[in-house]
Order: sequence, then structure tokens, then C-alpha cells
Amino acid sequence: MPTTRTLSPLLGALEVARKELTESLRDRATVIYAFVLPICMYPVLFWAILQGVMVVEGLQDRTETTLGIAAAGVPAEKHDTATEGLTHALSPPSEDPDEAAASSLKLIWAPESMDMEQAREWLAEDSEEDTEDAPDRPDAVLFLDPLTILHLSTDSTSNLASERARSRLAAHASALRLEAADRAGLEAADLDPISVSTVDLAGRGAKGAVVLASLLPLLLVVMAVMGSFFPAVDLTAGEKERGTAETTLLVPLARSSIITGKVLAVGALAMSATALSLFALSLSAEHLLSGLPVEVDISISIPTIAVIGAIPLAFFFSLFVSAALTACASLAATFKEGQALLGPVQMVFILPAMVGIIPGIQLTYPMALIPVINVVLAFRAMLMGQPLYGQYCVTALALAFYAWLALRLALHLLSRESVLLAGKTLPLSRLLKILRGTASTR
Amino acid sequence: MTMQPLPIRTTNLCKTFDDPKRGVVHAVRDLNLECKEGEIFGLLGPNGAGKTTTLRMLSTILAPTSGEAEVGGVRVSDDPLEVRRRLGFLSGTTGLYPRLTAREILEYFGRLHGLDEAHLQARVEELLDTFTIRPFADGRCESLSTGQRQRVSIARAVLHDPPVLILDEPTTGLDILAASDMIDFIQSRKEAGTCVLFSTHILSEAERLCDRIGVIDQGRLLAVGSLEELRVQTGKEWLEDVFRALVEQAGSEAPADIPPAN
Repeated sequence: MPTTRTLSPLLGALEVARKELTESLRDRATVIYAFVLPICMYPVLFWAILQGVMVVEGLQDRTETTLGIAAAGVPAEKHDTATEGLTHALSPPSEDPDEAAASSLKLIWAPESMDMEQAREWLAEDSEEDTEDAPDRPDAVLFLDPLTILHLSTDSTSNLASERARSRLAAHASALRLEAADRAGLEAADLDPISVSTVDLAGRGAKGAVVLASLLPLLLVVMAVMGSFFPAVDLTAGEKERGTAETTLLVPLARSSIITGKVLAVGALAMSATALSLFALSLSAEHLLSGLPVEVDISISIPTIAVIGAIPLAFFFSLFVSAALTACASLAATFKEGQALLGPVQMVFILPAMVGIIPGIQLTYPMALIPVINVVLAFRAMLMGQPLYGQYCVTALALAFYAWLALRLALHLLSRESVLLAGKTLPLSRLLKILRGTASTR
Repeated sequence: MTMQPLPIRTTNLCKTFDDPKRGVVHAVRDLNLECKEGEIFGLLGPNGAGKTTTLRMLSTILAPTSGEAEVGGVRVSDDPLEVRRRLGFLSGTTGLYPRLTAREILEYFGRLHGLDEAHLQARVEELLDTFTIRPFADGRCESLSTGQRQRVSIARAVLHDPPVLILDEPTTGLDILAASDMIDFIQSRKEAGTCVLFSTHILSEAERLCDRIGVIDQGRLLAVGSLEELRVQTGKEWLEDVFRALVEQAGSEAPADIPPAN
């Protein structure tokens, strides 16, 4: 026998991972999903999601909004009498409670006389605080002279309040104009229209952060799942179909090293897909936004701190997804059946990620323990610059735990003779029974 | 003087499977087998007799339900990694990685067997010549013919020069020339002092190659001996008749309550 040395389990696993990567990178579907798709399909996805976000925001007609009214030189005790008509126009009484709820615009007066600058501060300063702690916080502010609506485009409720105020003011102004024209015996078109200007207090960077926060967390999950989908099937069910599963079992390595090597290879491709998609976004976002048919006054740039913070999250999440998909795909006997089996499984990851585009959900400690949702909310909070360091740490630890759990599941399944050498695909419903079985190899 | 451990030994080796339709299936029952150094041992039996299951347990792919299997004195249940280092295994289900080249496969297995890089390269070059693989060594295995793949598989199995070689129906699916090459290869291993255990249901192969033959049916080893000894035991001249006589004899003695192996 030639002189040999015993490989350590880690070196063995890395050698297996290297071989599996070499093989996977020669598979066309894997290359497309891990490298080509993240770059080439990205602009289409970006545009579609952006449109989706805009539609979702436009449909928020059931949200209760508050409009602050501020004016210089109007004492507090004179508010109601001074603006009775305006109040009626902005918040008209309705006999239909549903209609009233759908268009709710609660009016609150500024506690004191304010100039424009103070009105800006009233809106901007309070917007950072929790609504429950600051009941008088307006979602938007109507400044009376000159008639101006102040709002934050980065806050969907603020947008809604602004839009409701603007449309009702326009209707009120039109009625006043008609009335005045009638009194003077003129055509309404002969009178100058009452102009209401709108001022967005959100900065370009803040607006860009909102767009990124709506897109990137979802992309992170989708690309990690897509990047690991084909390699997971290829290295398990595909290996059975090609008749190389037993060949792999003959190598003088513990089963745990072989399976860890496979999961590492799948994870590397998932991370590559994730990293490439983020890289492609950072390169093309500004260019894509400038190409949109509507003018979008936002600045897209991923904060460095978010990139650094996302690395451990993406690492553990990719490992978690890779191990979970590899474990599930190992139940299939052929590549095609593996694809069919993983179809519903991948949705288990992608659907919770949709939470990332629902406004208002925050990363709390309990949320940081829920897989998928935690990574989406954490990355979103990072992009928005929220300093939730405790929650970030809990998220990373929770993801590391879930990755370990999924790896244990893969090890359990791929050590079972009934899985390794099954001539037919085993249903997911038999998972528990398989795990309870005893026949396993080392 | 210390006793050299036998290359292959099984003691009361059993394997059962849980089958959803058939219940508990006894694939191998109390199998006792010994193979010596430099011996070619043929495991002869019909399809579903338990040959493949026995060889898979010896090669650590399957875990025995009970009993013991040893390779070079190492129990498969105690140290499966060491057992894998000591044997080369080849069967119809040990395919080649289609997207790797022959050279890459040999290098991969060599590294996992712990061959240092210089030794590995020399060994790979040697095998490329020995098995006439060099002309197609750098093409992907998916583009190779059946015969070419078989040569690469053999090179993969003997890369670490194992003292024990286990071959599961090694000529099944091969054309005449490739099958002939395989038979020459098995004979050459005997000359090199390797213990070869191979399964077959082709009687002429067993007759031509084996020093000893074990006849297996329904998971039980019915008889072991040289062809001459089996002839004497059954009173039959041709191996087909020997085999049939042993199976019929065992059938009349077998307990009826145990479902047969697949």
C-alpha cells in the first residue's frame, strides 16, 4: 500500500466541498441560478418590486392618519373659529362609518403659533418616535400661510395623510373658486386658482434607504434560496440518479464530513448568488432609477455599516437554507423529483420574507427569534440606519442556531440507509419516521 | 508467532430491512465467510440471493443488523473508515462523477485516501498507463464509453493499492472485450497477492476464476469450497447442476416462516 496519512474531518469536508463545487460549476443550471440570474435577471426583478411597492402604498386606504395644522400668528383659542370652513373641508362628517374610516384624517392643532421652520421641526422631530408615546404626533402638517403640506415620503402613513389633505383641499379650493366666481359674475377659469404646495422633508438618502429596505431583504432571501436550489438537488437526488452515491460513500471519511462538505458547497453557491445580487444592485440602482418614466428624487447607496452587518446574517442564513434544502432534497430519488419536492419547501422561505415589504413591522427581540422573518427585518433595519444592536446580535445567534439545526437534520437524513439508498422518492410526510429509524452508517 | 488476520471474515452476519409492503425482509442470515490472502473467492447466487447486501456490509455502505464483518481484522462496526482504507470496492452502482475527468476523480480519491501530492501524481500517472486511460484522461467521464468508464472505475478502486478487493458483479453490462479485460484484471490481482471477493450469477466466470466458491441463496450461505469439493459434495459434474442441487437441498430444509430477501 502507498504511504498515506489520515485527513482530519475538516480537511476531508473541505476536499469534498472542493470536488462538489468543481462538479456543480460544470452544471449549466447551477451556473445560471448562482451567477447569471443574480446579475441579468436583477433589473427586471428590481423594477417589478418597485412597481409593487408603489401599488401597495397606493392601496393603503384603511389607515387612520393625522394632519397637524400650524400657522403663524393665530392664537390657540382662535383656531376653531378661524378655520371652521377648512376643518369641515379636511374632515367632512360622514354618515357611513366605513367611508369615514376609509378616509380618516384626524386634525390636530399645533400647540402654539408656529412659523414654517417650526412646523418642519414639529413633523420631522416627532417622526422618529413611537406613535404610542407621542399621541399628538401628526403624520403630515398643513401650514396655512402660504398653504403648504409638509410630509415625509419615507413614511407611508405620512404620504397617505398628505395625499388625503391635498385632494380635499383641492376640492375645497375648487368649490370656493366657483362660489367666488358666481358672486362676481365671472367664469371660474378667470380667477386665479388657490395653490397648495407640497414639501417633502425626507432627504434623498432617506428615500433611497426606504426603497432599498423594501427590496434588499427580500432579494437576500430569494437569491439565497435560488442559489442553493439546484446544487442541493444535484448533490443529493442527482447523485442517486447518476449512480455515484455509493461511490461517494466509499471515501475514507466519516459520513458527517462528506455531508458537511456537500452543505458547504451548496452554501458557497448560495452566498455567491446573494453577494452577486447585492453587488449588481449597488452598481445598477441609480442608473435604473434614472431610467424610470417618472421622476424619482432619491439617492441609492447601501450604507457600509449595513454591508458589514449583513455579512454574518447572509452567511448563517445561506448555511441554514443550504442545509435545509439539502436535507429535503436527499429524500428524492431523481433530479426531477428533487425539483418537485423542493418547490413547496422554497416557498416556506420566500413567503415569510414578504414581511420585509410590509410597513410598520419592527425587529423586536421575539421577532429576532423567528427564522427568515428575523433576517429580513434585521437587514431592513440596518438599511434604515436603526441602531438595534441587541436585536441584530440575537438575530445572528438565532440564525447560527437554525443553521446548526438544519445541518444536524441533513446529517441525520443522509446517514440513513433508507434515505441514502432508496430507489424511490420518499414523501416529506415520512420525515419523522425516517429520523426515528435506527439503520445508519458512519 | 502471531496469527495474521484474515483479509475478510464474517461471523453470523445478518441484515434485515423494513419493507412497507412485505414487512421485515431478511436479506442476509447468519452468514459465516472467510477469505484468505491471495485468494479469489466467488459468491455465487441468483438475483436477490443477498450477494450485494453482503458485499455492501463488508464495504461499510450498509450497517449489519447483527453479527460481525471484518476486513483485515478490523470490524466494520468499530472502524468503518479504516475498513474503507483497506479495501477497494467496485459495483454496477459505483458510478463515476460525470462532470469530472478521469484524472480529477483519481486525484480526488487519492487525496481523500491521504496520499501526499507527489506520491499521488506518480500513482495517477502509473494508473493512467496501466489501464490505458491516458488518451481520455482529461475528458469528462460523461463522454466516455462503457469500457472506458469501467477502466477508470477499476483504477479508482485500486488507487490506494488495497489488500482486499470486493467486486459486485463486475462484468454485468460490459461487452465481450470489456468483460474479458475485467477477468484479466481479477487474475492479475491474485498474482499480486490481493484477496478478491466477487459476486456473480455467471457460472462460467466463477468456474474460470475462483479458488473457492460460496453458494448463497435467500440470504443463507449454502456451501463453501473449491469447485472440486462442491462436485464431490453434490455428486454433480457441471457447476450449473452443482448450484441447482445445493439450492434444491436448501429449499427442502429452509424454515417456512421467514420471508425471502428481494
